[in-house]
Amino acid sequence: MAERDCSLQLQEEVERVLRAAAAGGAAGGLAIAGGASRTGFNLPLGGHRLDVGEHRGVIDYQPDELMLRVRSGTPLAELQALLAAEGQRFAADIPQPGAASTIGGAVASGWDGPARAFGQSLRDSLIGCRMLNGRGEIVNFGGQVMKNVAGYDLSRLQVGALGTLGVLLDVSLRLLPRPECSLTRSFLVPAADLPQWWQKTRSLRPLISGACHRNGRLYLRLSGRRAAVRPLLDSLGGEDSDFDWSALRDLRHDFFSAEQLAAVYLPRGAPPAQYSGDVMVDWEGARTWVAGGDHPALQRRAGEAGGFVRVLRGRPTQVADSGRGWQRRIRRAFDPQGIFNPHLAETCFTGGEV
Amino acid sequence: MHSKRDPIVEALCRILPGDRVISGCERVAPFECDALPVYRERPRAVALVRSEAEVVAVARLCREWQVPLVSRGAGTGLSAGARPDAGGILLVTSPMDRILSIDPDAMTARVQPGVVNLQISRAAAAQNLFYAPDPSSQIACSIGGNVAENAGGVHCLKYGVTVQNVTGLRLVTIDGEVLTAGGDCPAQPGYDLLALVHGSEGGLGIVTEVTVRLTPQPSRTRMLMADFPTVRAAADAVSAIVRAGVIPAALEMMDALAIEATEKFCHPGYALDAAAILLIDLDGQPQEVAADMAVVEPVLARSGATRVQRAADAAQRELWWKGRKSAFPAVGRLSPDYYCIDGTVPRHRIGDVLEAIDRFAARYQLRVANVFHAGDGNLHPIIMFNGREVDAVDRVEHLAADILEYCIEVGGTITGEHGVGLEKIDQMAVQFSDAEIAQFLAVKDALDPDRLLNPGKLIPTLAHCQEYRMLRKSDG
Ligand SMILES: Cc1cc2nc3c(=O)[nH]c(=O)nc-3n(C[C@H](O)[C@H](O)[C@H](O)COP(=O)(O)OP(=O)(O)OC[C@H]3O[C@@H](n4cnc5c(N)ncnc54)[C@H](O)[C@@H]3O)c2cc1C
Repeated sequence: MAERDCSLQLQEEVERVLRAAAAGGAAGGLAIAGGASRTGFNLPLGGHRLDVGEHRGVIDYQPDELMLRVRSGTPLAELQALLAAEGQRFAADIPQPGAASTIGGAVASGWDGPARAFGQSLRDSLIGCRMLNGRGEIVNFGGQVMKNVAGYDLSRLQVGALGTLGVLLDVSLRLLPRPECSLTRSFLVPAADLPQWWQKTRSLRPLISGACHRNGRLYLRLSGRRAAVRPLLDSLGGEDSDFDWSALRDLRHDFFSAEQLAAVYLPRGAPPAQYSGDVMVDWEGARTWVAGGDHPALQRRAGEAGGFVRVLRGRPTQVADSGRGWQRRIRRAFDPQGIFNPHLAETCFTGGEV
Repeated sequence: MHSKRDPIVEALCRILPGDRVISGCERVAPFECDALPVYRERPRAVALVRSEAEVVAVARLCREWQVPLVSRGAGTGLSAGARPDAGGILLVTSPMDRILSIDPDAMTARVQPGVVNLQISRAAAAQNLFYAPDPSSQIACSIGGNVAENAGGVHCLKYGVTVQNVTGLRLVTIDGEVLTAGGDCPAQPGYDLLALVHGSEGGLGIVTEVTVRLTPQPSRTRMLMADFPTVRAAADAVSAIVRAGVIPAALEMMDALAIEATEKFCHPGYALDAAAILLIDLDGQPQEVAADMAVVEPVLARSGATRVQRAADAAQRELWWKGRKSAFPAVGRLSPDYYCIDGTVPRHRIGDVLEAIDRFAARYQLRVANVFHAGDGNLHPIIMFNGREVDAVDRVEHLAADILEYCIEVGGTITGEHGVGLEKIDQMAVQFSDAEIAQFLAVKDALDPDRLLNPGKLIPTLAHCQEYRMLRKSDG
């Protein structure tokens, strides 16, 4: 695995931009790029590019500790292989939209795969990070241990912050043993029957690790000890299936090539919505992918149901800053000059004020 | 009844009914400390609140008069986080104690901050659900305090600590603004305010409502107890279990002194001749539990356990856990005073750290009992002392500082779950650089620009850090 520590070069680059900003320049700021594999999902690179992809390599991996500390430019694919060789995996279901996708990009974007609904969330698997803030300083938060309440939890705050609070240099992630087996069954289920199924899937915890509905078929994945998974599958019935969960996780399924693509997030147990456009139901109905939908209408209805919409292709929806600008103030606390991914900060965090 | 001349008290009485405003030196005395009574202070006034609207009004009052506001839940904190400020208001959220709703389909419960931790599981039991984080103080501590400290517990190894089990909350800022974070959706847009509030120790706002995630009760739980001839062997067994691919629901360790204390206190049936014992819960589907047992038992034997026992029934399991959960009061019986610390270290360093603690304790002629969350490397060394001995408190403080700084040195942290509060404010200067402390302060200032919320706790000033580092250097 290629290894290179570029912290100091990255720091110099940030310092240079800060000096330019102080002198009145740097319009556009720095566009932080890992593998740039998500640019096709409304995460465009703008301004002057800061490449983190060369800053790569594992810093510390101790299988006994269930912990991995790694430079942010390391490709996810390499890490998946490294962990698999030790019978381990991430404690999160991390999407990998391209071969070049990096762990830093994954943490910054904060996306989660289908297992998020069953406890595997990225924000909960990040236990620490080392980053460059908007004062050009290298700072460390969290650490390499599972439990840590010293100071505010500023590492979790980086998950989904899209690099608008700083440049991630290293991240420490919690790991889990790989399950002995993962098996999928499919069932013919009309969309209208899904709410009853979601009541049933509750009893499949903690073995259930995926629940997706597509074209009149429900796919359920169970993971764990073979001795436990097998009898549970048999009691469920249905047909064995080779549904490609990683194509769903990584947004590589044909479905995701649509020109208009959005994810609708609804509270668990919310009544199912009717969508124009093609849909794929994920997370036991808590997340629905909609291709070719009417985004403003989706946004309105999700809002009424206590949810929200993330547009991955098509005109992005602005995320309102709830309250009197706290998101803007948090951003300023990390990046007073607003140099990191300023275009994303506007659309995704500090957009319309209420 | 009230010292009518204090304008703050008068203003409070306009917001709250008179019987929920407490002032006067004698009357505020019950609120002068949390469960770490070496730190005490009497507040100018105590406000017992019943609603979010009252919290908003008290916050606005503090902002307007520029007086400190310290939040308090049940007051079971172990780091003086809820110690009042002499010039300020102590806002007590424990009267906000209603469970607002339980949604069995969404598997969530919406509760007020003063609800006692265990009450949630009790209320959800009818739906076969429970609230997983179980601090040993769960019969008393409040969910608001749990969020503020990001509390952990015996079963957090598998189920996660508070932050992993809360999906939404409402926060009142010092401006009286109500922010909502998260909700019933498993994900949220924007910055993760929900995460930021966990462990913020009342320094960013007052938590006025919490939506917790409920977990289905496991269909089977089995408990193992293993005796070890050395502390090192027990510590190594902890890593070996995890390495073998099993994440127990709980994995706790007690050393000889802790065993002796609890045996005397409540007779759980621990081995008095063991140097250490491990208490292990395995839960889940019956077949899964059986498969895990088949892995763990031989691992324990290979790691040098002299005896491995299975709890025969629920009663025995309860008794074994009762011993663990009453370890603090039990140690309290053996020693006139005790002081518990809370560092976390990488799992494979537990053995080294326990040996180092013994060396450090000898240096100060003190005894230390260890009972802790071994699975997450979260130590709870309990220093036993006699406060009437002249320099005892001083020796205890030095020993605690040495232990915490050693935890940092081996790659750990000064607190895993009890929080920094006032107690560990000095060690923050060791764990973090000035740039990091400044970043924490900048985040605080974003939400509490006048630093009125819980002042002087959790994050030290830069000047304080520099002073303490100099002091430790001159201590050698
Ligand atoms: C015997 C014993 C055993 C314990 N075992 C454990 C354990 O196993 N694990 C563990 O994690 N802890 C444990 N603790 C510590 C303590 O119980 C926890 O820290 C608990 O979360 C504190 O809750 P509380 O309601 O008592 O909070 P308090 O002590 O009242 O306050 C704690 C902190 O939270 C803030 N706060 C309280 N309410 C709010 C609110 N509504 N909004 C904002 N801030 C607020 C306070 O300002 C303070 O900083 C133990 C304590 C004791 C005495």
